[in-house]
Amino acid sequence: MEDSTVVTFNAREIERPDPSLLKYYIIMALLTGPGFVVLFLPMFFKYETLKYRFDDDGMSMSWGILFRREIYLTYRRIQDIHLTRNIIQRWLGLATVSIQTASGSSTPEMSVEGILEADALRDFLYTKMRGAREHHEEAAAPELPHDEALVLLREIRDLLKSRAAGESRT
Amino acid sequence: MSRGIERAATWMYRGVWGVLTKWFRVPEHPPDLPVVAGETLQKFRPSPGFLSYLKLQYWISVVVFTLVVSVLWTVLSLTFPVAGLFLIPVAVAVIIAPALVLYLAMYLRYDTTWYVLSRRSLRIRSGIWEIHEATITFENIQNVTVESGPIERFFKIGNVIVDTAGGGQTKTAHGQESSNLHRGEIAGVSNGEEIRQMILSRLMKSRTAGLGDESFEHHAGWSPGHITVLREIRDLLQVSTH
Repeated sequence: MEDSTVVTFNAREIERPDPSLLKYYIIMALLTGPGFVVLFLPMFFKYETLKYRFDDDGMSMSWGILFRREIYLTYRRIQDIHLTRNIIQRWLGLATVSIQTASGSSTPEMSVEGILEADALRDFLYTKMRGAREHHEEAAAPELPHDEALVLLREIRDLLKSRAAGESRT
Repeated sequence: MSRGIERAATWMYRGVWGVLTKWFRVPEHPPDLPVVAGETLQKFRPSPGFLSYLKLQYWISVVVFTLVVSVLWTVLSLTFPVAGLFLIPVAVAVIIAPALVLYLAMYLRYDTTWYVLSRRSLRIRSGIWEIHEATITFENIQNVTVESGPIERFFKIGNVIVDTAGGGQTKTAHGQESSNLHRGEIAGVSNGEEIRQMILSRLMKSRTAGLGDESFEHHAGWSPGHITVLREIRDLLQVSTH
């Protein structure tokens, strides 16, 4: 078991929302009063089918029973990250992390709900986002191992060399 | 006398603040941003001028509301004198209760708004019931606007608005603009121009269009390795033509 005080956050381990998301959905549906029945069912199914996947380049979320929906986006395309917590979410320790790309829609492309370590997740996404770090890859890789142009030039040189050698012999 | 009231008000305000942080889980500390070692964050609230601006707005609306209620009460008591007499406490309550709540809300709004700037990005926190934190890297910013109205200029404050690509502002049923998520607003700061210059200077250094494209500059052009081989080829050709 890990020490509870030094929990290292690993986004790749996130697959399902926390069970308190269901509580949050129940409270939100109850607050609408008579709308509970109509609202709760889709919320329940969304909670039951909601799946997250975080990999090296991007993240995806999918949900839905009849109409399935899966969104995938790469970290580098993130334009801005919004973290919202209303009072009920704060009580339950939840938050909504909304992620936006440069598309024209006014609603966020992806709303990650039901993550307890929302702050850590946001900072993880922030470090993956464009402009969060300096471009140090330029200094790190001055010569790429698979530089096709260089390989081709070397071939041409070698061909010329052998040809020159052949000419001087005759 | 007024000092006593002031002290009581601060004491009460602290009580409200305590309830908020404890029961409503309003964060006590300003937001943070991940930083590189040795980097310092700039954390600030709107300038005090913004509070004066909000107060002016508040008093104007209170005066207008009081006038409306008193006119209604006068009309009513002229037609039904007895009912008018009974309605005096109601009218007073209708004026005072929202005024108190709004005054508190104004102070809370001021105290819960935070702006955090790092060398690479900004984070804006606002709201009491729904706390909203937006994070935008400077590299993704498309344009920076500084705007201020005549009253805001009187209080020497302005709003810095940064937009990222995308948008699609939606209008609500009442024709008001709903919050646009592709936008960050640093409202009520006294050094708006300074902030804009700072963001713009960061923007100029960026070589991309801020649309998620990478800079491929280090792939273009010739590396020293290429140049050496090309020189060798030239020399070989020179030898063979002579």
